[in-house]
Amino acid sequence: MPRRRDRKEQMLAAAQYPLDWLEERSGLIGGLRYFLFRKVPGDSGWWHTLGSATLTAFLVQLGTGVILAMYYKPDPKSAYESVQHINNDVTLGWLVRGMHRWGASVFIILIFFHMARVFLFGAYKYPRELNWVVGVLLLPLALLEGFSGYLLPYDQTAYWATVVGININGTGPFIGPFLASFLRSGPEITGDTLSRFYSIHMLLLPGAILGLIGLHLYLVVRLGVSSPPWSPEAAGRERAEPPPVPGSGLVNPAPRGVTKRPD
Amino acid sequence: MASRRVEENRVAFQRYKEDVKRDGKPFYPYAMFHDTVMSLVVVCVIVGLAFVWHYTSLLGPSLAAKADPGTVSFVPRPDWYFYFLFYLLRIFKWPNSVILGTVGIPTILLILALAIPFIDLRRERRLLRRPIAIVAAVLVALSMGVLTYKGATAKEALGAELLADVPNWVKSEQLPPQALPGAKLFATSGCLNCHTYQGVGGSQLGAPNLSAEGSKNKGITFQIAHLKCPSCVNKGSPMPSFAAFGNANLRKLAIFLEASKGPH
Amino acid sequence: MEPQQGQGKPHLPPPSLWPIGFAIGIVCILVGLIVSWPAAAVGVAVTVVFGFLWVRDVTGGYRRRDIGTEPAVGGPESATEGAPAIPADRGEAAMPEPAPGERFPRSVFLEGATLGLGSVIAGIVTVPIVGFSIAPVFQHVHHDEIDLGPISNFKEGQYVVTTFLRDPSEGEISRRTAYIRNNGFLDNKPSFTVLSNRCAHLGCPVQPNGPMFDKQKLEETTKTGDVTLIPALPAGGFGCPCHGGQYDQEGNRTAGPPVRALDRYEFYIRNGRLAVGRTYSVSHVDGAGASAKIHKYKETGPGQHVDGPEQWFYPLQPPS
Ligand code: HEM
Ligand code: FES
Repeated sequence: MPRRRDRKEQMLAAAQYPLDWLEERSGLIGGLRYFLFRKVPGDSGWWHTLGSATLTAFLVQLGTGVILAMYYKPDPKSAYESVQHINNDVTLGWLVRGMHRWGASVFIILIFFHMARVFLFGAYKYPRELNWVVGVLLLPLALLEGFSGYLLPYDQTAYWATVVGININGTGPFIGPFLASFLRSGPEITGDTLSRFYSIHMLLLPGAILGLIGLHLYLVVRLGVSSPPWSPEAAGRERAEPPPVPGSGLVNPAPRGVTKRPD
Repeated sequence: MASRRVEENRVAFQRYKEDVKRDGKPFYPYAMFHDTVMSLVVVCVIVGLAFVWHYTSLLGPSLAAKADPGTVSFVPRPDWYFYFLFYLLRIFKWPNSVILGTVGIPTILLILALAIPFIDLRRERRLLRRPIAIVAAVLVALSMGVLTYKGATAKEALGAELLADVPNWVKSEQLPPQALPGAKLFATSGCLNCHTYQGVGGSQLGAPNLSAEGSKNKGITFQIAHLKCPSCVNKGSPMPSFAAFGNANLRKLAIFLEASKGPH
Repeated sequence: MEPQQGQGKPHLPPPSLWPIGFAIGIVCILVGLIVSWPAAAVGVAVTVVFGFLWVRDVTGGYRRRDIGTEPAVGGPESATEGAPAIPADRGEAAMPEPAPGERFPRSVFLEGATLGLGSVIAGIVTVPIVGFSIAPVFQHVHHDEIDLGPISNFKEGQYVVTTFLRDPSEGEISRRTAYIRNNGFLDNKPSFTVLSNRCAHLGCPVQPNGPMFDKQKLEETTKTGDVTLIPALPAGGFGCPCHGGQYDQEGNRTAGPPVRALDRYEFYIRNGRLAVGRTYSVSHVDGAGASAKIHKYKETGPGQHVDGPEQWFYPLQPPS
C-alpha cells in the first residue's frame, strides 16, 4: 500500500474516533444515523417541506426571542422605553425585533399551510391520527404565543388588544370570569399582568410547544410520511398486479447494502 | 376483536412500510435537501419582512404610542391573524349571541379539527374521491379569507376617523360653505353610528342613508324638530333625541342635512 | 510497542512526552495573550503540533486495528446500520418481565411506595406554585376613594370627560376615564352620573358621540394624582370603536353587541369635592339624570350578562 494512502486512512480513522467514543457511550450517533438515513417515500417532495419550514420559523422565534429578552424589561414603567431602546439604540436591535415580530406571522401562516397540506393529502388517516391531534393542539398554542407576545411592547395596540383578549376569555361560561382574573392576576390589568404575560410567553408556552413538537417529530419518524395521494407510485398503494421487482422504474433506485431488519 | 376496517388499515400500513423500505429514498440528503431549501426561503422571507418594516412604512409603524389605559380616541385592533375572530365578534352584534362569537365558534372549530381523523375513517386519500373533504376545506379557507379581509378593512364610524372624510363630502355633494360646520358636527356626533352617508357609517337600527336627505326638501324647521324629538315627528322612530345639542348646533346640522342633495 | 488486545493483560497507555509539549504550548498562549501577540502565535503553533502528535499517538493502536472495515463517515450505504431495530422492551437496557422465584420479584409494596412518594413530591412542588399563581384571583382589592377635585369644576347638565388614577400606587397603568355629569340636586343632596368608559361588550374604550371641548380642558392635581377634565357634548350618547356598540346618554345600550349598560362608579361628596370609589355593573337605567332608577349589580366583567337567562352562565364572580 502506498504510504500516502495509508496516511489518509489513518487521519480519517482519527477523525472517526470521537464519534465512535460518543456512540459507544450513548448510542446517539446510531440514533442520528437512523434519523438521517431512514427511508421516506420516493415520491415525497416539496409539499413535505412545509412541516420542517414551520420548525425553522419556530427556531427563529426561539433564537431572536432569547436575544430580545436580554434587553426587554417587563414592567409598565419601562417596557415601552426598552422596546424603543431595542429599536433605536441597540446594534441591529431593529433587525432582531423585526425578525421576531414577522417571524411570528410567518410561523402561523406556515402552520396553516402545513395543516392544509396534511388535510389535502389525507395524511391524518390511520395510523397518523395521533399526530394530527398533536398538530391541532400546537395550533392554539402558537396563536396564544402570538397573543401573549402582543402585549409586551406595551403600546396602545398592545394594551387594548390584550384588554379585549382577556375579556373574551372572561365570557366563557362558569370559569370564564376566573380565567380572565387569572390572566390579569387580579381584577384589573396591572404591572403583574405584564410580567405574567412575559413569563407565559417566554417560558410556559414555548416549553409546551417544544414538548409537543418533539412528540410530533417522534411520530413522524416512527410512522413515516405519506406519499402524495395522486402519485402512481404512492407507497402502500393498492395493486392489482404483483408487487414490482425491487428497484425497477423508481425515481431513486434503492441504495445498496440495505438489509432486512430483524423484527 | 379487530373489525374488518382495522384489519385492512393494518395490511395497508404494512404494505406502506414494505414499499418504503424497498423503493424509498434516504431522508438525508434527498428529502433534507428540499427541506433545507424551503427553510432558507423561510428565513429570507422573515429577514426581508424585518427590513421592509424598518425601511418602509408598508408594514405599519414599528411602535404605536405608549399604552394609555385612559384613552378616549384610540381604535383598538388585534394582530392580523386574529382578524377573523375580531370580525366574528362584529357579526354577532346581538347581546345574547356574544358568547357564540367569543368562545362558542372557536371552541366548536377546535373540537371539529381534533375530531377529523375520527370522523373521516375511510382509507381513501385521493382528493377527487373525497368530495365532502374538498367542500369543507374550500368553505373553511374561503370563510377565513373573507373574515380576515373584512376584519382588516373594518372601519368604525368614529369622529376622529370620519372628520377626514368631510372634504370628500364637500366635493361630491358640492356642499356650500355654510354647511361645513354642520358637516363637522355630523361627522363627530355619532349620527353615522346608525346612519350611512357617502358610503361610510354603520347601518344600525334600520337607520336610512342620509346622502340625499336634502333632496326631500323637508325644510330646516322640520329637521330641527326631528332632531329634538325623533319619535314625536315620526311615530315609533328608535332614533335617540339630540336636543342636548341646543338650538344653535341643531341649526348647523339642519343646514347641512338640507344641503345634502345627493352625489353629483 | 503496545500490548496486544485480548491477552488478558491490563491495557495501559504508553508513556508519552507529547502532553508535556502540549501543556507548554498552552502556557505559552496564555502568557502571550498578556505579554505579546507573537509569543501567543508561537504558543498556538506549539500546541497544534504537539496536540496532533499526541492524538496520533493515543489513537495509534485503534487505527491499526480497524483500518479498512469501518467506513469513514456514514453514507447512504450504511443506511440501516446502527438503527435501533430492536423494540425498546427487548433491548439490552430494558427490564425483562421478572420470572417467578427470581431474586427480586415484583414488590407491590415498593411499587406503591414509589408512586406514593412520587406524588408527595409532585404535591409539595405543585401546590405552592399553583397557589402562588392563582391566589390573586381570590384576593379582595382595596380601592381608595379617588379625589377628583371641587364640585364647581362640574357644570350642571354638562358631561365632563374625567381621567384619573384609579390606584395611585400602581401609577399610569391604572389610569381610567369616566364620563361625569352633574345632575343638580336630589333631596338637597348633589347628584352625579359617573359612567365608566369600559365597553360592556369586551372592554374597549367607549368614546363620546359629540364634540369634546379641548380648549376648556382643566388639569387638577389632587392628593390621589393628576386629574384631567374636558367638557364634552355627547348628544348622541357614547360609541365603541371595536365592534360598534352604542349607548345613550344614561349609559343604556342602544345598539350593537354590549350585553348591558355601561358600568358606573360609586361617588361621594367630601368637603365640596367629588370622589369616586368602587365600580358596579348596571343592567339598564330607567329615566334620566337625578331621578334615574339604576338597576345595580355587583361588578361583573365585560361581555357577561347580569340579567336574563344568560346570567346563569356566570353564577360566580371572583372578588374585585
Ligand atoms: C408548531 C407547529 C408544527 C410543526 C413544527 C410541525 C412539524 C412537522 C414536520 C417537520 C412534519 C414532517 C414533514 C411534513 O410532512 O411536512 C410534520 C408532519 C405532520 N404534521 Fe406537523 N407540524 C406542526 C403543526 C401541525 C399541525 C397544526 C397539524 C394538524 C392539525 C400537523 C399535522 C401533521 C401530520 C398529520 C403529519 C404527518 C404527515 C404525513 O404523514 O404525511 N402538524 N409536522
Ligand atoms: S368592545 Fe365595545 S363593542 Fe365590542
